[in-house]
Amino acid sequence: MTCGYLESMRSYFARWQQFFPGGSTADRNRESILTGGNPDLQDDRHHAAGAGWARVLCAATVAVLLCGALSPAAQAAPTFTVGWSVYAGWNPYFYMARSGILKRWADKYGVVIKVQRFDYAASLDAFVGKNIDACTMTNMEALDMPAAAGVDSTALIVGDYSNGNDAVLARNGLTLAQLPGKRVLLVQKTVSEYLLERAMEMNGLGAQAGRLRLVNTSDSDLVGAYLGNRGNLVAVTWKPLVSEILAQDHGVRSLFDSSRIPGEILDLLVVRTEVLNRPDGSGARFAKAIAGAWYETVAQLAAGNAAAIAGSAAASEDSVASYKDQLKTTHLFATPQMAVQYADSAELKQKMDLVRQFCFRHALLGESTHSADDVAIRYPDGSVQGRRDRVRLRVDDTYMKLAQAGKL
Amino acid sequence: MSAMSGWMELADIQGRPKRVWTQTLSWVLFALGVALYLQVSVARHRENPDDRVMPTGAQLMAGVHSAVMSQPEEDDPLDDGASTWQKITHGMLWKDTVASSKRFGISLLLMVPAILLGLHMAVFPLAESMFLRFFLFFDKIVALSLLPILFIVFGIDQWSKIMLMVIGVGPTLLLDTYNLARAVPREQVVKAFTLRSSNWDVAYRVVLKQILPQVLNSVRLNLKPLALFLFAGEMIASTDGLAYRIALMRRHMGMDIILPYLLWVALLLFVLDGALRILNRRLHPWY
Repeated sequence: MTCGYLESMRSYFARWQQFFPGGSTADRNRESILTGGNPDLQDDRHHAAGAGWARVLCAATVAVLLCGALSPAAQAAPTFTVGWSVYAGWNPYFYMARSGILKRWADKYGVVIKVQRFDYAASLDAFVGKNIDACTMTNMEALDMPAAAGVDSTALIVGDYSNGNDAVLARNGLTLAQLPGKRVLLVQKTVSEYLLERAMEMNGLGAQAGRLRLVNTSDSDLVGAYLGNRGNLVAVTWKPLVSEILAQDHGVRSLFDSSRIPGEILDLLVVRTEVLNRPDGSGARFAKAIAGAWYETVAQLAAGNAAAIAGSAAASEDSVASYKDQLKTTHLFATPQMAVQYADSAELKQKMDLVRQFCFRHALLGESTHSADDVAIRYPDGSVQGRRDRVRLRVDDTYMKLAQAGKL
Repeated sequence: MSAMSGWMELADIQGRPKRVWTQTLSWVLFALGVALYLQVSVARHRENPDDRVMPTGAQLMAGVHSAVMSQPEEDDPLDDGASTWQKITHGMLWKDTVASSKRFGISLLLMVPAILLGLHMAVFPLAESMFLRFFLFFDKIVALSLLPILFIVFGIDQWSKIMLMVIGVGPTLLLDTYNLARAVPREQVVKAFTLRSSNWDVAYRVVLKQILPQVLNSVRLNLKPLALFLFAGEMIASTDGLAYRIALMRRHMGMDIILPYLLWVALLLFVLDGALRILNRRLHPWY
């Protein structure tokens, strides 16, 4: 790729050479070296341009040679970058990389896997921009960011679901029925808004959801804004922010949390389908390596391995106690069996349908998308939700199944 | 020969290029930027028809249309029979522009006391000793880091954002005015007093009168920081405004709306800057 870029640069230069055949003095000096210092040639502009071409050819040759020298090394160990962001269910990626578990699995499959921490929004941008190969995200963002932007994505690992991590918080004993007209602090167009809408729906208040006064508040300032001003009655957010708010203000109660909608807010590892299906098979090897490493890591976490928990807590500079508290409300699919079972279930399709309808209702699939079916989801059994010719998100249980069978 | 000298003249300091040339040249980079964008956008769409990072011209036009004509999601829908004008005045772009302009306008007005304080500090020794050291220090505080405190003090509505802008830009303007006023020759002040001027006359009719064109230029230069703080505030917590919409659109890569919004903001600032420049020229033809 670099090589192609270099070459195209060269040809641009070559074109410019035609327009300014004389060039600067320095140019002419260099030309005189190339043309053997023959003054006749230098004076004849047409020939001088020819000399420019010779220079370009030379440079191109060097570039080609360089690329040739580099490519065997690239073939030897294809490199993959995984982006992750702070969240109870994703922190283990940090521990996995740090403890050497990932390296062991990557070596086994002859790939190099880099793990890089991002802010959540930035990680999604990087993934959509194809700067990273795989990324952790929720099912909702997998649908409305890469899939809706035409980046064919595959959910490789169904890691966990939020089982109480996300919550609707309120002061003064407010109930859900009293929320319309009140100001609600939350990060709009994320699972927070989804949770709030589900809360209203499930309590028969769906028709009033439009009357909520949502204040789009950055997660980094939400705790301060909510606690600092008692006039802010309602907030929707996730742990550890939820725990911080509840610990600092005892007048705040949780009205609704994600344990009431189990399996709807899923946390996935998503890889670009084109990377996974690379013809040289390196993508598949990467998938095997990361699946193997992941299930070794979560097995440690589920067994209560102190190093694994401390290592994952360190990922977000949380205390072990706080991280354990978050784990309690995170339903980890601790074994490949559990994950495969959920990935293959009819329940998943039904929950994903709720999510995609939400995304469509809020124009998260793009202003120009006219139907939720335009961003279709393919499930492990081959069934497709939406238009068959527009499959953009695939749930793939192949690698979880390999892990289940112990064939990794 | 003649072609040769024609080219030479173009690169000559003393050259008088024709109007055609100067006009054309001033648009070259614009054209280049647009062409480059379109080329990359088309290439990206050839590879991925659903690409959202660089929308095509048609998608941008559709984005502009829906930004102007369609209502924000958070509002109650209009009746079907609404006229075009009603649609526009209830549209996203209008609503966001009005909300942001209000904040911008108020904080711009609040710059006036800052400028006057700077003037007083330069003219009255007591004011100088009272405020100068404090504002020199206060100016160095990174305003954004104060935001959590601003939220607590001013709530998350208008005033926290306006205060962010005032705190961010006010001290800079104040100190600039102070420096400009200090640079007015002492002799003029003394002379004014010998002509029986009052303190007020000296401050406002001798010093301020002279530095006002420079102060206005300073305001023009500070429009961008002002917009920057406005955007920062709106992105962090708000229910409307231009940056609020951009923050929301970013969540699903709605670049077809974001790009028109960015250009619109640039245009608004450009127009405001131009208006101030013309005002300055009208008010102070001698400058």
